[in-house]
Amino acid sequence: MPAAARSIGEALVTIAGREGVQDDDRARTAAAVDGQLPRWVVRPASIDQLGRIVALAHDDGLAVVPRGGGSALELGHPPARVDVLVDLSGLDQVLEYNPDDLTITVQAGITAGTLATLLAPRRQFLALDPPGAAARTLGGITATNASGPLRARYGTMRDLLLGVRFVQADGVVTWGGSKVVKSVSGYDVPKLMVGALGTLGVLGELTLRLHPLPDAERSWLVLLASAEAAQAFIERVIASPLQPNRIEFFNDRALRSVPVEAAAAGVALSIGSVAEAVREQGERLGVMAKADGARIVPLPEGFWSRAARASTEGNGAVLHVVSLPSRLAETERAIGDAIRTAAPRGEVWISGCAGLGTFRVRVGNASAAETAVATTRLRARLMDLVGSVVIARGPAELRKAVDPWGPVETGPFALMRALKDEFDAKRVLNPGRFVGGL
Amino acid sequence: MAVASRTAEAPDLDEIRKCVHCGICLPQCPTYRVLGEEMDSPRGRIYLMRAAAEGRVGLSRTFQHHLDLCLGCRACETACPSGVRFGSLLEATRAELRRAGPPAKHRLLQTFIFSVFPEPARLGAALALFKLYKRSGLRALVRATGVLRRLPQLAAMEALLEDVPAAAPLPEFVSARGRVVGRVGLLTGCVQRHLYPGVNRDTARLLALAGFEVVIPKSQGCCGALELHAGRVDAHASRARALAAAFPDDLDFVVTNAAGCGAAMKEYGHRIPELARFAARVRDVTEVLAGADLPLGPLDLTVTYHDACHLVHGQRVRQEPRQLLRRIPGLRLVELADSDLCCGSAGIYNLLEPGVARELLERKLARIVESGARVVAAANPGCLLQIAWGCRQRGLDVTLVHPVELLARAVDAHQG
Amino acid sequence: MPLSGTFLADLERIVGAEGLVRSAEGRLVYECDMHTFYKGAPDAVALPTRAEEVVAIVNLCRRERVPIVPRGSGTGLIGGAMAPLGGVMIGTNRMDRILEIDLTNRCATVQPGLINLSLTRAVATQGYFFAPDPSSQMVSSIGGNVATNAGGPHCLKYGITTNHVLGVELVTGTGELVRLGGKAERPGYDLVGVAVGSEGTFGIVTAATVRLLHVAEAVKTILASFTAIEDASEAVSAIIATGIVPAALEMLDAVMIRAINEGTGAGYPKDAAAVLLIELDGPAAEVEAQGERAARICWARGALEVRVARDDAERALLWKGRKEAAGAVGRLAPTYLLQDAVVPRSKLPAIMRELIAIGARHRVQIANVFHAGDGNLHPLILYDDRVPEELERAKAANEELLLACIAMGGTVTGEHGIGLDKAKNLPFQYADADLNFMYRLRRAFDPDGIMNPGKLLPSHPACGEGFRPARPRVPEGAWI
Repeated sequence: MPAAARSIGEALVTIAGREGVQDDDRARTAAAVDGQLPRWVVRPASIDQLGRIVALAHDDGLAVVPRGGGSALELGHPPARVDVLVDLSGLDQVLEYNPDDLTITVQAGITAGTLATLLAPRRQFLALDPPGAAARTLGGITATNASGPLRARYGTMRDLLLGVRFVQADGVVTWGGSKVVKSVSGYDVPKLMVGALGTLGVLGELTLRLHPLPDAERSWLVLLASAEAAQAFIERVIASPLQPNRIEFFNDRALRSVPVEAAAAGVALSIGSVAEAVREQGERLGVMAKADGARIVPLPEGFWSRAARASTEGNGAVLHVVSLPSRLAETERAIGDAIRTAAPRGEVWISGCAGLGTFRVRVGNASAAETAVATTRLRARLMDLVGSVVIARGPAELRKAVDPWGPVETGPFALMRALKDEFDAKRVLNPGRFVGGL
Repeated sequence: MAVASRTAEAPDLDEIRKCVHCGICLPQCPTYRVLGEEMDSPRGRIYLMRAAAEGRVGLSRTFQHHLDLCLGCRACETACPSGVRFGSLLEATRAELRRAGPPAKHRLLQTFIFSVFPEPARLGAALALFKLYKRSGLRALVRATGVLRRLPQLAAMEALLEDVPAAAPLPEFVSARGRVVGRVGLLTGCVQRHLYPGVNRDTARLLALAGFEVVIPKSQGCCGALELHAGRVDAHASRARALAAAFPDDLDFVVTNAAGCGAAMKEYGHRIPELARFAARVRDVTEVLAGADLPLGPLDLTVTYHDACHLVHGQRVRQEPRQLLRRIPGLRLVELADSDLCCGSAGIYNLLEPGVARELLERKLARIVESGARVVAAANPGCLLQIAWGCRQRGLDVTLVHPVELLARAVDAHQG
Repeated sequence: MPLSGTFLADLERIVGAEGLVRSAEGRLVYECDMHTFYKGAPDAVALPTRAEEVVAIVNLCRRERVPIVPRGSGTGLIGGAMAPLGGVMIGTNRMDRILEIDLTNRCATVQPGLINLSLTRAVATQGYFFAPDPSSQMVSSIGGNVATNAGGPHCLKYGITTNHVLGVELVTGTGELVRLGGKAERPGYDLVGVAVGSEGTFGIVTAATVRLLHVAEAVKTILASFTAIEDASEAVSAIIATGIVPAALEMLDAVMIRAINEGTGAGYPKDAAAVLLIELDGPAAEVEAQGERAARICWARGALEVRVARDDAERALLWKGRKEAAGAVGRLAPTYLLQDAVVPRSKLPAIMRELIAIGARHRVQIANVFHAGDGNLHPLILYDDRVPEELERAKAANEELLLACIAMGGTVTGEHGIGLDKAKNLPFQYADADLNFMYRLRRAFDPDGIMNPGKLLPSHPACGEGFRPARPRVPEGAWI
């Protein structure tokens, strides 16, 4: 090991302590990102340490790759460089919980599962349920803007993140937003950090808006003859007085792996409210389903976590497809066509917030090359549908063959690059992974 | 710019200061709706008045122009949460402008208007001439020469006066039908008596049916509203005194069927304290009839109602005319979108500022078409003239009526 | 610095003579927004009708380094839509069309000058509404709402403007017309998220795509009156803590109740020291159950009276009073300072006690009408501007109150924004590093600093560098 590297290693040890810095092959191999081994795996125990680690990297021209639970490392381009992998799982403290205000401030390395356990006694929750959330860190969920079925009612992290403490590329610890539920004091910096994949700052601390858990919640599955029928049914539900907190579409393959009952398409809904309202709305839902000639079955507890698991099982690629609610059926067909044309034996699991036009697509029995072709084809099809296709998971080979983010329009991209140039001119943070190789 | 140049007619600074600049009046203001600029909004105009009062701007031609553009519809007063009396501020500012500001625009036209309109006899004579003009070939000649194109204000007036009906004088006293419930005076108005004599006749008849003795003094003149709106406060005051004197003291109410007159008369007391008692007795005909028991037969009509500014904003009478119309069996009253947005008539505004007036009229006509109604009721002669003219121009099959005309027809239907 | 004749001629070529205000009288009325304390007339006002004209104006101003101030309906409360450095004001009032209503995808695209309430009116018959409802909604423009990230009573449940903006068309400080976001979300930085609330310092919004929501099945408006403001505050904290998320939860104090009753005759109880306006909406059964729960809480906190609006007319009347509160204050005093700091809602009783003490200490009357459900205060500190010493007392009370809110973990503004008014207060809440980040963020959108200079951030350094924050210490010997 060259002298400079040795002294950087020593400096890291000075910052994070002997136990916080690993540079042995085993640790480095375990922390590899798309096959690239970091030179150091550092686990800060405080935001202050995090700031000093990033400052050090900045001054030495090293690339920092932040990692939370490690479940979304296949999102985006393979990194241009990986020098210091910062493992944020040590920053897992609850800093301030104000149950009467429905707000909480936590360190970014705490997992959604730990948080849920902590909030349950007060019958409160963080209304975000991306697949695998329990093991994911809140920093990771924020950086990747991950969401799940609950988004239909509660929105995404951009609607829940009130304040954020992060470390800029030069190591300066910075705060944006506020700790109260309503604030327009200065620019909305938290929004900028959501979904930025840590390329403008490493997330250290989050202040979040919480919601009261509904008194009661029940779920149903409506089985329909086609995606068109599902779309029509969803449109009627949304235009009705019903107030579901989830409206999730499932294609036939996704339904089979849940599994409840087989059908060409299904719409799973949950309603959370006071018990009386849940019962009453359930009845109305039944009437609506019958009017459409559709079967409706009550769903057992645990359905939603089973559905989330099913959407991430296996090793196949996962695509996030965004279209419009008015084009659900069309989009579903486009996805199926694109994949089956490229990969004759391919299988497609589709689920998603159909009311919002966002889909989670899991591809099975397709090679990376086939998936790449399918992705390109799907993008071409969705172009006129104003949508986007992002590879949320897939081997590096796939993400090298095809841009995992897809095209970004010139005007907005110029602004994004200007932001990256302004805040990370030396390309310290997660270099190369974000849109357009930022 | 010396504050000293201000006259006794300057608007009350305390009233100006009640404006908190919230802007709630903006979307209610017809000129703001048309022009979309701050100085042609109530908030902007008040700001200019304040600036003038504080000596930050002079009574310049630009200042005058933005004040001239105001229709005086007072929709801003209805909207204002702080209760700013914009109408009074406007009158005072216009008076001040007349005394200390630049010469008025369209001076000749204004001189003509103010020497004819408020003088029922002269107006009658002018209209007789107009009839002659219409029947003789003169009209065709005038139109052919294109004179009117170069004098848009004259064109506006010429166009408005399409049909002038023959005026039949009303008796000085109409006795009540059935049990007498009260005694009222009737203002016959300048424009109303010559252009819509039927409205006065129907008003008297309905009041009698409602149990009122109706006194209609021959000696009554003009209420002075047009002069007040133009800032001619002295002329207004002498007309007001004369009008009040023309009516006997024993009346329960003095009834008007012209919103502009009613609004001005109800506010006589603001400027002339000794007329406060008279002012307190002034009522719009719809207010008086709202409580009366009228024998109404069915009319199979779809009607929409346009709120005359000086009734809805100037007098805050919104529900009574609608309630009366709804009482007519078979009549379907449909709401008119933006019913309380000025039609552009605004006294003599359409004669002085035909551009903005025209745009407002176009909007009014569009809303009328959307309403689907073929009959539009409005309780002010200016609105009736303006909207009827617009309908003719656009070839719309729409009839304009005063609400009392519909009530009278319903009475006929009951009796017939 | 007055604009040159050539510049004005160029400007006139872009917007036409009828789209340009040059007269002294015309410019004067544009010198302030609703915060009349801050005055600064622009050197010209341009009233464009198309985005292309806005692009041309920005390019012209950029070439000549002339400041640009965007303005909607001028109802802001922060001195945002005024021109402290002169320059060109761009009024969006003539860009007021609805470009598209797409009910299937529950969104609409509108021009910036469209009045907020006009959008809801356009979709109301189909059962939809635009959720952000600032009290100025009958006059404020959607462009202005986007610029200030406006909130309103119903933001308690539905969120503020940013939660309802899907996309914006923006002319940035470099004169580029960019479309950010849209009906369907796209990968990349959330530029829409930072553009909303940027108060015109990134550019001018020339169109916005906003979400439309479906009207709830049932609405219940409850009015609860109390003899002490502390009791009402505690009722608010208890309602939130119990897990009810009302659509709106508003509080008015005695001073305000009097002004409103005189104004609109809203029929608020005359002898109450505080009134809570609680609105619940949602499925009928939920609204019923939660309404009972909220009423019980009010009774338990010593309510004088708990009244449920019987019909839409009564509900509208209760709200009319609330919506016109700021205007009705004109009946109490000619001038006031208004701010909108936020405290954690559990701290409401404490801050109300503090507020009363501050008012007494500085001998100023403070009227209160505010979004209690989010802890968003709106103290109106009344003063008479003809008495100079009164203004000083009001300002002192104002600053003390702001600091008290920050000390309780709050923020300097919950919905009005920063503008010129609170730029000086921003350091109460943010460290140099935080402000530095914001300066640099602004620079990415407006490198020349021509967009609404002097607003949102304290003292505007020409280079945008602002502060040099302290960097963390790096261990010795690391630079070998």
